[in-house]
Amino acid sequence: MTDPARVQSTGTARTASARPSRRRWNPTHFLVFPTVGLLVAFLVFPYLNMVVMSFRNPSTSQVFAPGFTVGNYLDAILDTDLYYLEILWDTMVLGAATTAICLALGFPVAYHLARTSSRFKSVLYAFVLSPLLVGVVVRCYGWIIILGNNDGLINTTLMDLGLIDSPMTLMYNTFGVSVGLVHIFLPFMILPLLGAIQSIDPALEEAAQSLGASRLRTMLRVVFPLSLPGVQAGTVLVFVLTISSYVIPILLGGFSVMIMPTLVVQQLMDAMLWPFGAALAFILSIAGALVVYVYFRLTSRAIRGIA
Amino acid sequence: MTTAPDPSPIPNESAAARGRLQRKAGHVLYLAVVVLVYVYLLTPLVIVVLASVNAGEFLTFPPQGFSLRWYVAFFESEAFMGSLFFSLRVAFFATIISTALGVTVALYVVRFAGRWRERLRLFILLPLLLPEILTAIALLFFYYNAEALLRTLGIEVASGVFRNSVLGLLIGHVLITLPFVFLGISASLYNFDHSLEEAARSLGASRLTTFRRVTLPIIKPGIIAGALLAFIISFDLFNISLLLKGIGVATLPIQLFDYVRWEYDPTAAAVATVSIVITVIAILVTEKLVGLRSLRF
Amino acid sequence: MTELAIRGLSKRFGDVAAVDGFELEIGDHELISLLGPSGCGKTTTLRCIAGFEEPTAGHILFDDRDVVGLPPENRNIGMVFQNYALFPHMTVRQNLAFGLEMRSVPKSEMAERIARVLETVQLGDLGERYPRQLSGGQQQRIALARAMVVEPSILLLDEPLANLDAKLREEMRFFVRSLQKRIGITTVYVTHDQAEAMVISDRIVVMFDGHIHQVGAPDEIYSRPVSREVANFIGLTNFVEGRVQGADAAAGECRLETAVGTLRCAYPETLDVGREVALIVRPEAISLSAAAPAESGTNAIPGRVGERYFLGNITGYRISCADDLLLQVQDDPWASFDVGDEVWCTFDAAHAWIIPD
Repeated sequence: MTDPARVQSTGTARTASARPSRRRWNPTHFLVFPTVGLLVAFLVFPYLNMVVMSFRNPSTSQVFAPGFTVGNYLDAILDTDLYYLEILWDTMVLGAATTAICLALGFPVAYHLARTSSRFKSVLYAFVLSPLLVGVVVRCYGWIIILGNNDGLINTTLMDLGLIDSPMTLMYNTFGVSVGLVHIFLPFMILPLLGAIQSIDPALEEAAQSLGASRLRTMLRVVFPLSLPGVQAGTVLVFVLTISSYVIPILLGGFSVMIMPTLVVQQLMDAMLWPFGAALAFILSIAGALVVYVYFRLTSRAIRGIA
Repeated sequence: MTTAPDPSPIPNESAAARGRLQRKAGHVLYLAVVVLVYVYLLTPLVIVVLASVNAGEFLTFPPQGFSLRWYVAFFESEAFMGSLFFSLRVAFFATIISTALGVTVALYVVRFAGRWRERLRLFILLPLLLPEILTAIALLFFYYNAEALLRTLGIEVASGVFRNSVLGLLIGHVLITLPFVFLGISASLYNFDHSLEEAARSLGASRLTTFRRVTLPIIKPGIIAGALLAFIISFDLFNISLLLKGIGVATLPIQLFDYVRWEYDPTAAAVATVSIVITVIAILVTEKLVGLRSLRF
Repeated sequence: MTELAIRGLSKRFGDVAAVDGFELEIGDHELISLLGPSGCGKTTTLRCIAGFEEPTAGHILFDDRDVVGLPPENRNIGMVFQNYALFPHMTVRQNLAFGLEMRSVPKSEMAERIARVLETVQLGDLGERYPRQLSGGQQQRIALARAMVVEPSILLLDEPLANLDAKLREEMRFFVRSLQKRIGITTVYVTHDQAEAMVISDRIVVMFDGHIHQVGAPDEIYSRPVSREVANFIGLTNFVEGRVQGADAAAGECRLETAVGTLRCAYPETLDVGREVALIVRPEAISLSAAAPAESGTNAIPGRVGERYFLGNITGYRISCADDLLLQVQDDPWASFDVGDEVWCTFDAAHAWIIPD
């Protein structure tokens, strides 16, 4: 296995006499073509095409009219009612809130799973994974059964018990959407945290305690700072997933919780406004990327001490 | 470090007792949070299963009795059964294709890519890093334009060769599942002890024989885990399927989505339970064959 | 400072007793080593003292105050871990400040104490470094400094030198010992390295399978072990099985009947005649000669040189004697016997010892 890899990596090695075939085409390169070809044809081109689409002229009779314009972007940003920007803001807030809740709930679980010596450890690990492996529609449907505004499990049970007189609104609002989002993205927070916490030497926690730190202070001063790489990975993952989620807001929010992805799909599928929809998708992507970039800049300084 | 007055660090008895109590209370609180989160994670799945065998229209507490009527309704529904088999078919082919691609490209990236390794790795993981809904939209536009482009180039293509066809949907599924297969296989290749191959070569095996008899059996768990994960992901894939589905064909998640948006009857619970069972079978197979820990995200 | 008393300490993990009936009094300023093979319970004992393990039974008294049930952070201990456990995200100074912050020491005093302890471990100029920028030996000394800067009642060291290379390890033994003597802090030191324990300790506690076998000063443990395990664990030992022929407690001597003849041995207690015992004699106590010794007072065993090896300061031999007895002998490097030579192994009664099984 040595020769082709070596030749590749040493590149300009002046040992031509020892390896006369160095410049010859290496057949192992064929291994990479099918995959790269697929990704270029059906990922790179489509995204480039989407950029182009966002600058197309809108049309009422066709998908788009001839010619190019920046009007799609301007329409979204300069809208006098701030309709689109407000939805963008709501999307970001929902993303930040979901991320924060996932972190608060995920950290204790990740810590417990990382440190437990229980023989049920692998069962617990499967529990954390299980929501991830079951389709998002199925999981949302479970929440619909539980939260349903009229016939949901919580409402019927509480009314049967006489604790409430009329059903509470648990779904088709931000609450319902948040419950679903946190539930579905929690594993994406727990798994990176688990990895980070597992790589922290337990002796560090004992050292902190031997120096007089309580459990809580050990958490705050030692475990949390050292798990920051996992925190960073998990929070970015959950944030990005949330601001690009479609099914959960639709199923648990109906159309009363409008965020960017639902708006974009509405523009594409119902209104058939493809250029405008593409522009909205890019506005969301750029805003999301900006938030993630700033977040990375802010958190990287804290992480630099570790590594 | 010489002499300092002893700050009497050991607290007196009552303070110690209070500290002990606080410590215990804190620990109980922490465990309570952990347990509640597990309950939160599992409840919807349990509820779906319960609703599917509940006799009544709505799940109440306590349940109204055991019945399989919703399963009967499911199995008699042509739309649901059709989409179930359609989903299984798509997932099967997507898994085969992305596993074949994943094995070859992972081998290349780990063994032969040289200085391009990291860039190539990132490129292959791109479908995982980009939001699925964006990829779905991009593909939707692209399929539309590609047909027009091919026609202007004078290439005869049937209308909707990508759009409204299983091919377009399948490509989308392969794109999304490929990174998972790639991760599993390249991880097992990275962990591979090279001296094993050298040992085989020193014993007289050719390169191909070495790969077949030594390398492949050792990275097999990574391949199996990656493939089964790809199957599960494809089976549950939503956004790609929603935007790229053809007219009249829908995968199970899409069919379920359309149903639960407007209907409340627990046929959906039976469908959801069947889809959970299929996933659980895939997980159990993974666990049996290679262990859950081989799953990589 | 602090005296430490451990009374009836037991710790079980499920069905396994890691420590059973551990009794020990450790005096002020004393450095005690817990020595034994891995799994003998020495680390468990240390972790019980630190508070990381809750004992199943027994008491641990710091100056007559029972600390069982007290969490580690309230015990005012200083602990050094095998892998040092320096906080990687903090500089050396922040590491040293951690324990002081937990004790709410004022800022000015904190700086002063950190400077002083850095001076003590001779690393005054490394305060702003991160642990990963330090060598193993430096990390080790910072770990010591971090444990001591809080002025703990008890210092606990868990194999603190195990991760250092051999040369540095030997140097650090003396460093740790002199530091401990200078500060005079009561110290419990866990190690599996008998040489380390010998160099460093006032007294050594030898443990096997959760039990204390012997407590004593290094020379006592070496020359008068109480069990086969102790004799085997500490240095090389020859065992000669035998039966008591006669014992004279007044003269402090005991005669044994063995397969290689009657052997004499110094032993202060009276043993029943006929009892089966083992005589032990260390390799360096035996000398080799070509002819049988003239005087009758010394023990002499005839044999043949089976193997011979040269170690620089000594020459080692393996002597095959009657009845499959194999004696290990370490003699002067210039005494030269060859493989196959017939020799006499002689040793003084005062250098032998008896282990009554």
